[in-house]
Order: sequence, then C-alpha cells, then structure tokens
Amino acid sequence: MDTRPGFHQSLKELERDLLQMGTGVEQAIRGAVESLASTDEKQARQIIAADDHIDSMMLQIEERCLRLLALQQPMASDLRLIGMALKITTDLERIADHAVDIAKATLRIAGEQLVKPLVDIPRMADISMRMLQDSLQAYARRDVQLAAGLASREDEVDKLYSTILRDVIALMGAEAGVNRQLTHLLMAAHDLERVADHATNIGEGVIYMVTGKRKDLNV
Amino acid sequence: MRMSRLTDRLATCFFWLAGCLIVLLLGWFLFKIMVEGLPQFSWHFLFGKPEEILAGGGVGPQLFNSFYILFLSLLFSLPIGVGAGIYLAVYAKTNRFTGLIRISVEALSSVPSIVFGLFGALLFVNWMHMKFSILGGSATLALLNLPVLVRVTELAMRAVPVSYWEASLALGSTRWQAIRRAMLPSALPGLITGVTLTAGRALGESAILIYTSGLSVSRHFPDFNPLAMGETLSVHLWYVQAAAVVPDARQIAQGSAALLVIVVLIFNLAIALPCRMLQKRLTGGK
Amino acid sequence: MAQPKIKVEQLNLHYGENHALHDIRLDVGENTVTALIGPSGCGKSTFLRTLNRMNDLIENVKISGSIRIDGQNIYAPDADVVSLRKRVGMVFQRPNPFPMSIYDNIAYGPRIHGIRKKAVLNEIIERSLQQAALWDEVKDRLHKSALGLSGGQQQRLCIARLLAVEPDVLLMDEPTSALDPISTLKVEELTRQLKEKYTIIIVTHNMQQAARISDVTAFFLNGYLVESDRTDKMFTTPKDQRTEDYITGRFG
Repeated sequence: MDTRPGFHQSLKELERDLLQMGTGVEQAIRGAVESLASTDEKQARQIIAADDHIDSMMLQIEERCLRLLALQQPMASDLRLIGMALKITTDLERIADHAVDIAKATLRIAGEQLVKPLVDIPRMADISMRMLQDSLQAYARRDVQLAAGLASREDEVDKLYSTILRDVIALMGAEAGVNRQLTHLLMAAHDLERVADHATNIGEGVIYMVTGKRKDLNV
Repeated sequence: MRMSRLTDRLATCFFWLAGCLIVLLLGWFLFKIMVEGLPQFSWHFLFGKPEEILAGGGVGPQLFNSFYILFLSLLFSLPIGVGAGIYLAVYAKTNRFTGLIRISVEALSSVPSIVFGLFGALLFVNWMHMKFSILGGSATLALLNLPVLVRVTELAMRAVPVSYWEASLALGSTRWQAIRRAMLPSALPGLITGVTLTAGRALGESAILIYTSGLSVSRHFPDFNPLAMGETLSVHLWYVQAAAVVPDARQIAQGSAALLVIVVLIFNLAIALPCRMLQKRLTGGK
Repeated sequence: MAQPKIKVEQLNLHYGENHALHDIRLDVGENTVTALIGPSGCGKSTFLRTLNRMNDLIENVKISGSIRIDGQNIYAPDADVVSLRKRVGMVFQRPNPFPMSIYDNIAYGPRIHGIRKKAVLNEIIERSLQQAALWDEVKDRLHKSALGLSGGQQQRLCIARLLAVEPDVLLMDEPTSALDPISTLKVEELTRQLKEKYTIIIVTHNMQQAARISDVTAFFLNGYLVESDRTDKMFTTPKDQRTEDYITGRFG
C-alpha cells in the first residue's frame, strides 16, 4: 500500500525527464559523428545550436532533484535514485558538450581533403554510441548486468584510441595543414573516448542506485 | 431547522425551571426549619441536660454524643475503608474475586440503614453484651459507612491520572511510595469530600442508632465512657416527636432540627475550607 | 569489541493469548542513541518497556528470554526491580510532571531513595536542570507549580527529574510527539548532548527524527525485529525489503 503516491509519481517523472535528456544527447552524438564522417557543415551547426536545449534540460532536472530532496525527505532507494539522477544528468551534459566539440571539429576541417580515410574513428564512435545507448537502457530497466558489461567495452574504446594516437603521430610531418587536420581528428577521437568514459560512469550510477553497492567500472 | 431551535428553547426553559425549583424548595425548607427552630436556641438549650417530665430541657449531651459517636465510628471505619479502597484501586487484579468484592461493596452500600441497625443490635448489643452504648452505636455506624468509604476511596484513587503512578514507579519507587507521595496528595481532595459527605450523613443517622446506642444519655456531662448510653441529636429529635411527654416537645423537636441542620452545615464548611487550602499547598500553588 | 551495555536475547512477550514480541535479539552499545521505528502496533513501545520492566504492571504478561544490562539478567528471579528502575529511567509520550512545585518534582526521585539533606538536594536539582538545559529558564521559579510550564519545558522537566536519580540508561517513548516543532528540536539537541554520559533508546514515529539523532536504528514489524543497523546505512541502503518499503513509504 503506497502511502506516498504523489511523491513516487514525481520520481517516475524524474526518470522520464532523464531518459528524454538521454535521447537528446544520443541524437547529438550521432549527428556529430555523422557530420564528421560526411563533413556535413549544416548538420554540425544544427548540433551546436541544439546544445542550449540540452543544457536547459539539465538545469530542469537538477531543480527537480533539489526540490524533491528539500520537500520530501527521501530515504533508501528513493534517495539513491535522486542522488544518482543528479550525477547522471551531469554525465549526460558533458557527453553533449563533447558532441558539440566533435561538431566544431567538423567545421574546422570542412572542405579539406582527408589525409587518411577514417576507419578507427567511426569504429570508436560506434562502440561509444552503443555504450551510451546501453547505459540509458540499463537505467530505464534497472539492468545491473547490462551496466556491468560496459566495463569491457570501455577497454576496447581505450585500445582504439591508443591506435589512433599512434597513427596520428606516425602521420605527422612537416606540413602545417596536415598537422592541423590530424590534431582536430585526434581531439575528436579523444571526445569519443570521453563519451565512453561518461557512459561507464552512468553505468556505475545505475549499479549503486539499484544495489546500493559501489563498483568501479573504469579500471 | 425551526423545530430544533424551538425544542432547544424548551429544553433550556425546562432546565432553568428545574434549577429554580430546587433552589426554591431548599430555600423554603431551610426557612421553615430556621424560623421555627432558631427561637429555641439558648445557652441552656444548646448545652443543658434534657428533661424527662418538665419543660425546658436541653440537648447538650445529645449534641456531644452525636460527635462522639461520629468520631469513634470514623476511627473504626476510616482505616479499613480507605485501606480496602486503595487495595481495590491499586493492588487488586481483575479477576472474579475482586469482581465479587466490588459487587459485595455495592450491595452493602444499598442496604437500608435500619437493617444495619437491627444487625448491630443483634451483634453488638445482645451477642457481645455491649447493651445500648456509644460503642455499639459507633461500631454499627462504622459498618454503615464502610462500603461508602471503600467506594469513595477507590474512585478518588482512580481519578488520579495513571501517569503519576507510572512516573513514580519509573523513577524507582516502591508501590507504597508511589501511593503515599504521588497519588494520595492528588486523591486527597476527592477523598476528603467523600468522607465529609459520609460524615455529614452519619451525623443525621437515626434509625441505626435507635437500636444500638439507645434513647437516653448518661447522667454526667460530658461523659467519655464509651459504654454509656448515647442518644444522639437526631435520635432525640425522633424520640421527642414520637414518644416524649414533656409539654414543650414540639419546640424541642424544632430546635433540634434547626440545630442539626446548622451543625451539618458548619461541619461541611469547616472541612471544605482547610481542604481547599491543603489542595493549594500540595499542588504547589499555580 | 567491548561488551554491549544492553544485550537482549530470545525475548518473547505474551499478553495473554497475544504473542506480542517474537525472539527479539538486540545489542545496545554504551553511550549511543538507538532509535526504534516501525508502524503503529509493531511492538516497539512494548519492547521499550521490557527494558525497565514496566510491563510488569500489566496483567497477564508473560516474558521469556533474557535482557542483560551490564552483564546481569534483569529478568532473573532474584532481580531487584526497584533498583533497576533507578538505573534505567523512562520519559513518556505526554509530559507527566507531578502536581507539585518544580523543586519537588525533581527532588521526588532523590527523596524516595533516601536523600533528605537540603544542601544535597539543592545541588542535585541544579545539576539536573542544567543537564536538561532548563536551569536558566526556571531558576527563579523553582517553588512554583510545574504545571505552569509550557509543554516543551514540562518534558525537559521530566527529563531532569529522571536525571536526578543518576541513571545509566534513558528510555524515551515518543518524547516529542506531543510537542511543537521548536520544543522538539530542543529535546533532540538535548538527546545529542546527553548521549555523552548516558545510553539512550528512543521510540519514535518520526523517521526523520530517528535519522537526525540516532546512531543505530532498529525496525520493528508485527512484533519482530526485522533489521537493525547503523542509522546512516539503514536509511541509504537497508538490507531487508520490508525495511525498504516502510522507509520509502511504499507501505504504511
């Protein structure tokens, strides 16, 4: 017999808002990566413009969390849910910022001939985006297994980043134009690595929220 | 809606009338008695000895006996009555035995006093050979008062909030300490009121004393011998009205009646005022 | 680990046919505040009263199991109840000062234990009122009736009264439920201070209060002790689902 249906309804709305923000962030990353791969300037500009909306969603979620803490004195699992919501919303906002950075990289190398066709970057993007998707799924379905599985994929992403770093260093030469392009691409790859990292953080948050135990997935 | 307002007014009127009626009745009753009785008061009447044949007798010894018998009967009945009342209120468990005790007490308190008188006559006067005496009268009067005192004490104790009892015990007191220090001071006003009412009624008892303390008084006055005959004021009142041959019987009766009423009134007041002061002191004066 | 101040083992209590407490097992450490929470009728007050044997006052009560305070079983056949209640004092839900002066209220306990000298009593009374954070408010009206104090002051008076007999353990049965919010906070602050010298067990309906002032919280349900743990753990990650449901209000 639920004695606090109003409060628990508010919690459901909080989750819904968080997932909505997650969807927006997923779209931002996908759009950014697509725009990089096809050097689509228009798409890149759209991504950058949409970031404001994501920031305001984050603020709304934060407000809602603080209000619930002040007014409802949540305990136990409810408390963990709200605490983790604050943390996850921050991770999502950072992911969105990285999407913006990738889109900016697209704008900076627009119109240039690619020094080398992009192979690893799309692969990294693929894994990172799937990790983000799964972390949000794990949140929605309270799936601890799914969240824990993010650890190994993060390793993969790290390995890919190392490969890209090696390749870029190998390709760097005397030409300034080439170096500039390579640097932007490297930074985009770094952004993708950070996205994977944040997705893992979300996974850790999910695990704590559900079980109350802390598990470090970032080793 | 209008109906209920009407019935409300009717009810209010009725209650007012009833109240007024009582006051009027009481007033008329007191008036009649005082008007006829007060003129009889004289030093000789109040403190002089009665006459058997001649007019001009007094009720001194009877007045004395009334108080003496009352005092003795309270001496017998208070410890037992109050003790039993405390037992029932504090120590007794709720079982059939205590239920039985309570029913017995209730039954005893509704026995007509003349029956007690007869019982007292049989037990004290005849069987114990006390003959008509102050002692016999006091003992029987004590029996009459006993059930009422038990009830009064139990009620007074139960009226004390149980939180005082709990608080005292929680501080590590024994049960007797809790009763003496926490409960009795609060129960005292109720207890004293009950005892006073009982005593007031006892002052006016006649039927019970006719058979036990007799219809005459000892020759000395005052006589503290408890085995002496002890006609009281109320018995004398009856005797004078019913069987006396003195010519001023009616006047003596009226005077006695007025005296009795005044005595009971003074008695109640004399207890109530110190009681009020005691209560103030015990509760620390708010 | 040090011996717990109070050790409850296999405690069962029956009111006639009604089995009110089932196999309660609990350790209470010295100088801690333990809060007992649970829905109405779950047995927490009943359990509290077993600790100073106030349940003995109720008819048809049967108790089995043991409660050891400082190693001694208080339900042993030769146990002295009167001295137990001196060591383990109780504050009730409604403040219940005696209808006497403030002075007499506090002197009540010492007097029944034989202390009569005025100088000693004066000292005890001042000390107790200081400890209960009430001295400044009443020092000029010690001989006025205790009933003239406000509800919150009366409750602190009852605490002072209990401190005057120098107990080890303080049992509090919903001590603030009849008080206004400010008085409640004052009593809570007092509890926090008293914990340094006394071991305190408090029954409360208010979970936030338990969260604010206790070190350990025990959750009772239908006469069972479901879970007891450090308060911070209990309110962030309770182990038992029933505790979780109660704490989050998913069942009343």
